[in-house]
Amino acid sequence: MKTILKARDIHKTYRTGEVETHALRGVDLDIHAGEFTAIAGPSGSGKSTLLHILGGLDRPNQGEVWLGEARIDGLSFTELAKLRLTHFGFVFQAYNLIPVLTALENAAFVLELQGMPRRERETKALEALAILGIAELSGRRPNQLSGGQQQRVAVARALAANPKLILADEPTANLDSKTGLALIEHMQRLNSEDGVTFLFSTHDPRLLEHVTRTVYLEDGQIVRDSVPQAA
Amino acid sequence: MLSLAWRNIWRKRGRSLMTAGAIGLVVLITIIFYGFAGAAISGIYQRLTERVGHLQVQVASYRDARDFADRLIFNAATVQAALPEAEWLAALDVPGLLEGDGRSRGIVLSGLAHSPAMRAQFKESYLVMGTLPEHDDPVGIALGSRLARALQVELGDTVYLYAPGTLGFGAAAYMVVGLLDYGEPMLDSRSAVVALAAAQELAAPGAVSRFGLFFPELIRLGDDVRVPAQQEALQAALGPGFAVETWRQLEPGMAATIELTEPMMAVFAAIFFILAGLLVMNTIYLSLIERIREFGVIMALGANRRHVIGMVLTESLLLCLAGAAAGAALGGISLAFMAQGFSFPEPLASAYAEFGLPRVFYGSITVAQVLTVLGFTLVTALLAALIPARAAGKLEPVEAMRFTA
Repeated sequence: MKTILKARDIHKTYRTGEVETHALRGVDLDIHAGEFTAIAGPSGSGKSTLLHILGGLDRPNQGEVWLGEARIDGLSFTELAKLRLTHFGFVFQAYNLIPVLTALENAAFVLELQGMPRRERETKALEALAILGIAELSGRRPNQLSGGQQQRVAVARALAANPKLILADEPTANLDSKTGLALIEHMQRLNSEDGVTFLFSTHDPRLLEHVTRTVYLEDGQIVRDSVPQAA
Repeated sequence: MLSLAWRNIWRKRGRSLMTAGAIGLVVLITIIFYGFAGAAISGIYQRLTERVGHLQVQVASYRDARDFADRLIFNAATVQAALPEAEWLAALDVPGLLEGDGRSRGIVLSGLAHSPAMRAQFKESYLVMGTLPEHDDPVGIALGSRLARALQVELGDTVYLYAPGTLGFGAAAYMVVGLLDYGEPMLDSRSAVVALAAAQELAAPGAVSRFGLFFPELIRLGDDVRVPAQQEALQAALGPGFAVETWRQLEPGMAATIELTEPMMAVFAAIFFILAGLLVMNTIYLSLIERIREFGVIMALGANRRHVIGMVLTESLLLCLAGAAAGAALGGISLAFMAQGFSFPEPLASAYAEFGLPRVFYGSITVAQVLTVLGFTLVTALLAALIPARAAGKLEPVEAMRFTA
């Protein structure tokens, strides 16, 4: 399988006053195209930190991150922003939709940042909403949507730009079991039918049951990297 | 992004309305202020130029001349023939002592001849009772109203003028045919008007002190740019023996005051906008604080610092322009009313008149002033948003997404 993202010897330390917290201590990880992978572990294990570094949202204190053949850990803020815009899609725990935009406009937001003309981006965004089964909700604002619907809009936003990799930080944490499962099934379908690569940071057992690979973190280190499981 | 910025502004409707309202109020006040100042300046300009003319011709040495005769233009008819096409006034100013009913005052008697339009304008502006002496009336005199009161004379009464050291008869009796109100107490108490011919007979046959030229098409101060060229041409035609001066040279103090008005108004307007700008900055900053997490997400999705700074600046611009539009609409309506003419009640009107202001103001605003207001609005919007925009641009996505207010 083709490696799309590679991390070598990643260290990340946070300093708060006199206190130093070693969030990551020498992490090596390869993410391959088409994977449906979760980074799991207890609270404080470094899951979100690793996800942020892999997604270009943060820089390691030490180590290397490679996106394909390009090393990205030393890029400037502007270069990382461009990288995120063109190569990654993000889904966050708190949906983080823009409240004054409709579902369609939220789904098209990344495309707008890319400079795509309006008609074209709305078409693509509508297609993404349709894949997530919520095209009929395109004219509604986030406060008119349920939690599950909002998270599906967030996934559509990530998907619409056709990224190499969608990184999702605790995407099911704020959803009830039924809604969470429905979202997992949508993402799984995107992965199995359309080949979209997903990387999650999660401790949700519902999600962990459905991923094909689980990377366990404890105290900033990978303690276990599961073999792919049967779906 | 424009649509997003516009919707973001109205998330907190009350706060945005108040902020936009403040800008609107400042724009409205500035427009009214400019309108009133424009009315005052136009009025002063018109009154001044009606009285002294846009151009005045006198002998070159008139400022230094001590004797009455040294200030005279003796070949008045020749000079008048050389004057350009314009409304004109010919005047012979004679210092003397006016006596009536046992009282006397030192005055300047002006013998006047006007073009018909200037005469009509003079009557309309200054005559409050009776009539102006006709050009061939040897005995009619119109007095300043305060002068008449001081001498305790009325229409039909006889007054006597003594003008020693002059070149004519030096003394004459006149009948009061009219009363004048210049709106300026000094003039009202020291001025009297007779026909030019009567004054020439009294003091200087065939001579005048000055010619005044008035160009009626020059209504506003901005029209005045054509006067220097006229001045140059006339000076060349008359030669070095004459002084051809503009109203600015004749009334330098008033001219300086008028010239100073525009920059002073701009300074006052700038102060208003600075105060409103502080409110805008506060609003934009609060809006940023409330949306730090959202900005974090936007940056996480791939917006760079330029995007974020642009969003903040755009919101500030739209907020200020919305307020300015409302203020400009109300200002335009106010100006439309002011343009029809308005007056102040007494005694304010008389007090203003003493400073050369008109009794009726006609509000007006220039294109340059409108652009100034627009410019101030844009500068306020950009400067007020500068600090919040820079703060937004310095956000780190991950920290911003974790932010709790």
